[in-house]
Amino acid sequence: MMDTVDISPTRMMLLYGIAVLPWLLLWSAGLHLARELWLSIVRMSVQLALVGIYLKYLFAINAPALNVLWIVVMLVVADFTILRRAGLRIRHFFLSTLAAIVAGTAFSVAYLLLLVIRPEPIYDARYLVPLAGMILGNCLQGNVIGLERFYSAIRKNENEYLTYLLLGATRREAVRPYFREALKASVNPTLASMATLGLVSLPGMMTGQILGGSEPWVAVKYQIAIMLCIFASMSLAAVLNLSLSLRFAFDEFDVLREAVFRRH
Amino acid sequence: MTGLVRFDRVSVAVQGRTILRALSFDIREGEKAVFKGKSGSGKSTVLKTLLGVYPVADGEVRFAGRPLDRDTVSAIRACAAYIGQEPVLGADTVREALLLPFGFKAHRGKAPSTGRLAEILGRLGLAPLILEQHCSRISGGEKQRIAVARAQLLGKRLYLLDEVTSALDPESKRAVQDFFSDPALTVLSVAHDPDWIARCDTVFELQDGRLTAAG
Repeated sequence: MMDTVDISPTRMMLLYGIAVLPWLLLWSAGLHLARELWLSIVRMSVQLALVGIYLKYLFAINAPALNVLWIVVMLVVADFTILRRAGLRIRHFFLSTLAAIVAGTAFSVAYLLLLVIRPEPIYDARYLVPLAGMILGNCLQGNVIGLERFYSAIRKNENEYLTYLLLGATRREAVRPYFREALKASVNPTLASMATLGLVSLPGMMTGQILGGSEPWVAVKYQIAIMLCIFASMSLAAVLNLSLSLRFAFDEFDVLREAVFRRH
Repeated sequence: MTGLVRFDRVSVAVQGRTILRALSFDIREGEKAVFKGKSGSGKSTVLKTLLGVYPVADGEVRFAGRPLDRDTVSAIRACAAYIGQEPVLGADTVREALLLPFGFKAHRGKAPSTGRLAEILGRLGLAPLILEQHCSRISGGEKQRIAVARAQLLGKRLYLLDEVTSALDPESKRAVQDFFSDPALTVLSVAHDPDWIARCDTVFELQDGRLTAAG
């Protein structure tokens, strides 16, 4: 294995300079995003630095309980993020979304670690934490799109939804067209990304492994594994999330509660 | 004729804004009633309140003598059809739109024959050829008559109509008006159209969610 070239503090400073050009371009186009841009960069840097420190100790200790605790923290943060970005109230959907992403992530991570990679020990933080993080991160995107599309479509098409109920549809039957569209929207980006992977872009994980010294062929196999697991976990979580959320989003007359939407 | 729908001092608020204020009226079975008034006066809210879409903040709604609970709303939805200015057909072709409800558990296995579809369409002045047409290529008047035909296939007797004749040509309007003159059908409508209003038994006038005239 080769050693990866480290980036010195001076060169790190130089790296931040790359954001100046796009900022100037956006500014000249009339987009005054300086505050948001620099805030995002600072947040990203601080968050990643903290994670770096944490992971260093997590990998060193490598205790199953601590590894699982870290994943639980990621799941809870992902739950809040999904609902906030989908414009939905946390108190209505916290449990349904958590159950869906736990099931989606656990299924794929377990499949990958128990059947495919089989590291020793099986809970090895070096495999468990980054793989769970990548799968969960993609699950998050798909669930945001799915939930947002689903509930905004029912709200926008109130008369259509009501017509289905009046034609004898149950709540589940009446939401089916919006369910289908929302699921399609949530899995489409991953499908499109799988179809063009390697042609349009070199995926982050593969690039990271190659830079970290892995053989390209090993990196390719891991990338295929992660893409398949992302697709499986995202589809499973999105289907579960939409299905479970139905219980909390409607009133006794099968009408969508306005209170489920966050006020802007 | 017996009392079918009763609103007794009903107030309804939607997203914190009071739309209906202490509204009271009775509709008998077979009656043709119309609500008129400026837009925003609460006319459409009356229809949707009866369907359980908006919760009643104060007062009481009764249907066939029963208060508005989950079972009553189910009973209303089973016998009512809601048809707006641009009815939702929910399918690609007219045949698929007519057969849409028979894909739901409640009506599965009860799909009507092509002969029955043609008979219902004929009563509304539509030729059987329309069955294979794409819903996006038919006129507003045809869409409304197809929505009515579908309601007929389901044996609906209570029609909640929201400006159904406003966009129709005179011939389509006559066909729709003639259809609803059937004494077996109860009609609760919202309209501005003077011809439609003239053919109704009872006219209610709404202003800011209050009944200002009835007769």
